[in-house]
Amino acid sequence: MANSDSPKALPTLLAGLWKENPVLALLLGMCPTLAVTSDVKSALTMGLSTAFVLLCSNIVVSLMRNLLKPHLRILMFTLTIATFVTIADLYLKAFLPAMSDKLGPYIPLIIVNCIIICRAEACASKNGLFISIIDAIGMGFGFTITLCMLGAIREILSTGAVFGKQILPAISENWYLTGGMPDGFIPMFAFALPVGAFVTLGLILGLVNMINKKTA
Amino acid sequence: MSKDKLFVSPGPHISKPISTRMVMLDVIIALLPALLAAAYFFRLRAVIVVATCVISCVVTEWLICKIRKQPSSIGDLSAVLTAIILAFSVPPMLPVAFLIIGSVFSIAIGKMVFGGLGNNPFNPAMLGRAFLTACFGMAMTTWTVPANINPELPQIGPKGATVAEKYQGQGLEGITEATPLAWTKNAIKAKTLAQAETIIKENFNNSQLKAVLIGYTGGCLGETSSLALILGGIYMLLRRTITWVIPVSVLASAFIFAEIFHFFKPEVYVNPLFQMFSGGLLICAFFIATDPVTNPMTTKAQALFGIGVGVLIMLIRTVGAYPEGVMYAVLVMNAFTPLLDRLCKKTPIGGVPNAA
Amino acid sequence: MPHKTNPLVLFIKESWLLLVSAFIFGLLLAGINAAWSPKVAANKELKIQDAIVALIPATANTQIAVDNQPIKLSDKDSAKTSIFKALDKNNKLIGFAFTASGAGYADRIDLMIAVDPDFKKFLGYKVIFSNETAGFGSKIKKPFYRDQYIGAPAKKLTLKKLGNAKKIDDEIIAISGATISSTAVIDIFNKYVDKVKELMTQKGLLQ
Repeated sequence: MANSDSPKALPTLLAGLWKENPVLALLLGMCPTLAVTSDVKSALTMGLSTAFVLLCSNIVVSLMRNLLKPHLRILMFTLTIATFVTIADLYLKAFLPAMSDKLGPYIPLIIVNCIIICRAEACASKNGLFISIIDAIGMGFGFTITLCMLGAIREILSTGAVFGKQILPAISENWYLTGGMPDGFIPMFAFALPVGAFVTLGLILGLVNMINKKTA
Repeated sequence: MSKDKLFVSPGPHISKPISTRMVMLDVIIALLPALLAAAYFFRLRAVIVVATCVISCVVTEWLICKIRKQPSSIGDLSAVLTAIILAFSVPPMLPVAFLIIGSVFSIAIGKMVFGGLGNNPFNPAMLGRAFLTACFGMAMTTWTVPANINPELPQIGPKGATVAEKYQGQGLEGITEATPLAWTKNAIKAKTLAQAETIIKENFNNSQLKAVLIGYTGGCLGETSSLALILGGIYMLLRRTITWVIPVSVLASAFIFAEIFHFFKPEVYVNPLFQMFSGGLLICAFFIATDPVTNPMTTKAQALFGIGVGVLIMLIRTVGAYPEGVMYAVLVMNAFTPLLDRLCKKTPIGGVPNAA
Repeated sequence: MPHKTNPLVLFIKESWLLLVSAFIFGLLLAGINAAWSPKVAANKELKIQDAIVALIPATANTQIAVDNQPIKLSDKDSAKTSIFKALDKNNKLIGFAFTASGAGYADRIDLMIAVDPDFKKFLGYKVIFSNETAGFGSKIKKPFYRDQYIGAPAKKLTLKKLGNAKKIDDEIIAISGATISSTAVIDIFNKYVDKVKELMTQKGLLQ
């Protein structure tokens, strides 16, 4: 459809990473952002699954964009997304069973993740295959990186570890009962709870706004 | 400000030079009796806890002002007040490291991220305490009974077990013991009526009411001595630092709630006076719920706020999972403050502008 | 010019894409499911096998003795359990394991509980599924709490707040700060122990 003002590849890619980052700028997909970022591993799995679904749905929607009937398009998007989410879910169940148990209902819930339907509507149904793929890669990576960042911060603060590997000096159990000083990093469990998700996300958003204000 | 110039300013015209600093100073003065009581009961420990909180709160505020390149706001003493209330509402034996974490969270997340004093939707001290509870649940629920107990005074606890008898000559600073509210909860949770009745009869009689009133019981630093808190409350009421609306509505609603339960099932629910004087109800009514930033503006809304706090506290104490509910009650009602303000809007004198 | 279309033609015209893609996606999913479902099933079996080996280390082979049998836990409460036989490399019976579940603090807790061949002692438990608070309730997976069950008599257990956790008997010391999760585990044990024993006697697994 759009020919003369079709978007360029590189700006589209970069937009997803920073300027239009799905979490930090568009504030889309808050449910997985808050719910599954208590450690990096589940954040990474969630991010990659979403990126995979986003890429596939963008490709399919872009391919059939000229055939779409306006009043049936949401139905088509949902059908496409649901198919690929089911594939992702089956894949995790077959090859990463531990992760699949941990993420539980959040993988099927990718179906209603607004990032994917937003990109299908705003980008893929209006642009060619190439731009749609680039857009999906940019957005998918932007989402994954943000989730991993949140996951890393929360995992470090709540356990002192990243990917389950202790990176900060571990503290001896029940040290406080002896009344002494802490002999290592004090894990703050609240960061593994939803509280930690909101606080961390809020602080990151504030930081992003600060940087944007400075560079603007 | 030079005095020989006339200023034209919109109302309200305040005749007394009331500054934030003065109000905060008044509240801190009102907290002094409780502070002294804490120092008497918990000795050095009280000093350590309060000093740690005050220093870390003030330093945090100063640092954040510095980072944000704002004029330092530590002069208004609000950080000191937050620190004292936080110190008063945590178990006395809480390690210093936890206190610092709580203080930093109170000031940084509870107040400064919202833009400093006056913009925070939640009471910073309670937010800090909630964070500590979420992080260190175990340490936050281990209570200590003051060790320098007058042996004559009966204790809240198992029958015949005054602290002095049990731990005589061990030279301890304090002993971990269930608080009065924990016993209240035990009675409610007891499996049979007879069990509950025994707990109530053995632990709560009139002479023990005195122990709760004066403060010879386990609990937070600032909460053990009800007398000192009432003294502080009266001082603030006399100085008009706070109005009577919130303290009265909190205490009255809590009392009525407790009385209803006690009236129908006296063998399970303790005398409402116990509920009044134990735990954080008094410090909440006088010092926490009255925080001018986080409670509503109009008298009607304040009354509703107070009733909400009082009823929530008693609800959590009687049917909730926790023995004490001050923190959650205050935080929940803080969240309702903007709604209450809208609900009870005052019509400006002269009618609503632009209302044709 | 009012031109009337056949409703069926209109329907096909409007929705052919939807129908076709639904068909194609359906085929795709069916194919993928057929390809991966053996793997998913194998994963489940492996998980059970791993759990049993973790509880009874000498296990070389496991056998399903009772598969997903409904049992009555109390008047109101009924559940399903599977019982597995653990065999060592000489095919000698060295213990049983059964699945049990109950409500935890945040979500349900699924356990694999192992007992010795005579149903006299517990050989421990493994958490198959739980969603307890990290750092508190999740300590039901940690040795401090779990080890107390290894060798405990296979009868009703009681929970104590304080005591010697090293002493193995029918008193289990709660995890400090996670009383609800500790209670949940004990409750699961107490609810299942007698009923599973009954069921196993019925099935002739116990003498």
